[in-house]
Amino acid sequence: MSEKETLIEVKDLTVHYVLHSGTSEAVNHISLAMKKGETLGLVGETGAGKTTVALSIMGLLPVPPAQVKSGEIIFEGQDILKLSEKEKKKIRGNKISMIFQDPMTALNPIDRVGDQIAEGIMLHQSVSRKEAMQKACDIMEMVGIPAVRYSEYPHQFSGGMKQRIVIAMALVCNPELLIADEPTTALDVTIQAQVLDMINQLKKKLGTSILLITHDFGVVAEMCERVAVIYAGEIVEAGTLEQIFEFTSHPYTQGLFQSLPSLEDSKAKLIPIPGMMPDPADLPEGCKFADRCPVCEERCRKTLPPLAEMEPEHLVRCFRPLKAK
Amino acid sequence: MENLLKVKQLKKYFDTPGGTLHAVDDINFSLAAGETLGVVGESGCGKSTLGRVVLHLLESTSGQIWFEGKDITHVSRSELRELRKKMQIIFQDPYASVDPRMTISAVIDEPLRNNGMKSRSEREEKVAELMELIGLAKRFTDYYPHELDGGRRQRAVIARALATNPRFIVCDEPVSALDVSIQAQVINLIMELQEKLRLTYMFISHDLSVVKYVSTHIMVMYLGQTVEYAETGDLFAHPVHPYTQALLSAVPIPKLGAQKQRILLKGEITSPIDPKPGCRFAPRCPRACEQCHQEIPALREVADGHMVACHMV
Repeated sequence: MSEKETLIEVKDLTVHYVLHSGTSEAVNHISLAMKKGETLGLVGETGAGKTTVALSIMGLLPVPPAQVKSGEIIFEGQDILKLSEKEKKKIRGNKISMIFQDPMTALNPIDRVGDQIAEGIMLHQSVSRKEAMQKACDIMEMVGIPAVRYSEYPHQFSGGMKQRIVIAMALVCNPELLIADEPTTALDVTIQAQVLDMINQLKKKLGTSILLITHDFGVVAEMCERVAVIYAGEIVEAGTLEQIFEFTSHPYTQGLFQSLPSLEDSKAKLIPIPGMMPDPADLPEGCKFADRCPVCEERCRKTLPPLAEMEPEHLVRCFRPLKAK
Repeated sequence: MENLLKVKQLKKYFDTPGGTLHAVDDINFSLAAGETLGVVGESGCGKSTLGRVVLHLLESTSGQIWFEGKDITHVSRSELRELRKKMQIIFQDPYASVDPRMTISAVIDEPLRNNGMKSRSEREEKVAELMELIGLAKRFTDYYPHELDGGRRQRAVIARALATNPRFIVCDEPVSALDVSIQAQVINLIMELQEKLRLTYMFISHDLSVVKYVSTHIMVMYLGQTVEYAETGDLFAHPVHPYTQALLSAVPIPKLGAQKQRILLKGEITSPIDPKPGCRFAPRCPRACEQCHQEIPALREVADGHMVACHMV
């Protein structure tokens, strides 16, 4: 298979939140590249910096307190971080769009759902109101909502239906990149299954690349081709789905897997990761995971291990990686 | 084994402007000391209401509850006070279930004070003992809840629940608000405590893998009713009810190539307000027939200790 084209590249991104009470180092020197049509899973726990990465790409960082300390985000030959607000608006919702965890807060409660979908079309395409409404109806059908419900309000829909509307809003301009921030976390499992199934089908149909932010390795296994694991604002391991699941190399990634109760194997005991993630306002020197790591040694506390390539595409930030292919 | 808790034909209806909401509708089960009953189902299926009715946090509409062999369906206030010492609850959100203005030691101390432990030094000793039991370092004694992370806060909530030496605890989604690595710590703690103190749990969760890990028996609920009940191993190995089968198949498995054939359910949970006659799952059921839309299927035994409510099995 030929090399796919790179769609977006995040290079050495560092974002800090500067507050009176101290500086929170949310994202530190993160680099990511996504190819056209692929789904990349960004996995990590609360406060790891996943959403900050997403907001940086969207140009939605709250400045202040956020400050981009270094890095660039290259999309279609230009650095998103350097664009003016007007230029960003042209990309946002059009070429790059985002869906959030909670569908209720992402919708305007006093606006008809159809109009909310059509708004994006009218903003980015030179079409008449009537054409925009027609397009909105088409996409509603595509995400499994009858177009006759165009004039209803968000509260008339259930959680799963609302998330479908949010997805319709995000996809209506046929974006190149869809950032999905925990899109199914607020939904019940049977509804989650429906929504994931739908996202996968739409991706096949439209060829959209997806940056999927999640804490659920089950969802990752089902949706993604590549995975990046992020801990305390840094990528600790990245690779293909197979490399991460079958050749887990970073102790943190392994710790996450061992913390999950299994549906298949009832005998396996849960091995929790002791302690908790360091405060981003007070990060340790050296490896951020050292305090909780079972194989930590002296140098881990002093020097930050580099993100080294174990084999093509498989990157690990550890002096003592567990295993390689 | 002797039953610690027994519930018979328990119902809880709510009057709403739209009609009568059947939150818990004819639930039966019994639970022996030292066992854990896992209650699973989607949001709105009545699992939390069931937990609350059992604990008398909500009054039941009809039905009976026995605890330690005594009928506790109707109790006086003073009896209820005694009962509360033995039956406790741990809520989902450790941020919302503690008073933000109380220190951790005050949070754990409150039930002791309320239950007549007068001597201050005795209480202090007991608080220290409880904190050690649930693995909270001494230095957190004078911390306020907001100064602790979710995992430690949930530990403090567990310590508070244990303060009165209960025999039975309802755990209502105790780990859902926690990150995976912390979640595993708290699950292990809950299980260690069960062994050490011979506790009996009713463990309510929407996360099937967590429920499987902690429970001895599992009850699957749908719109206020039990659709399937069995021992944990049995239920996961041989799910019989179409809803249980769909639910199990919908869980994403964190393993490569593990994805089994998924049963995608059509539509969503229907309204529990004035439910139509017939099986509540029928509108979404891939196997529903004429009879299912007309008659409520009774819960019957299909194998030893394995109960199912379905016309089609």
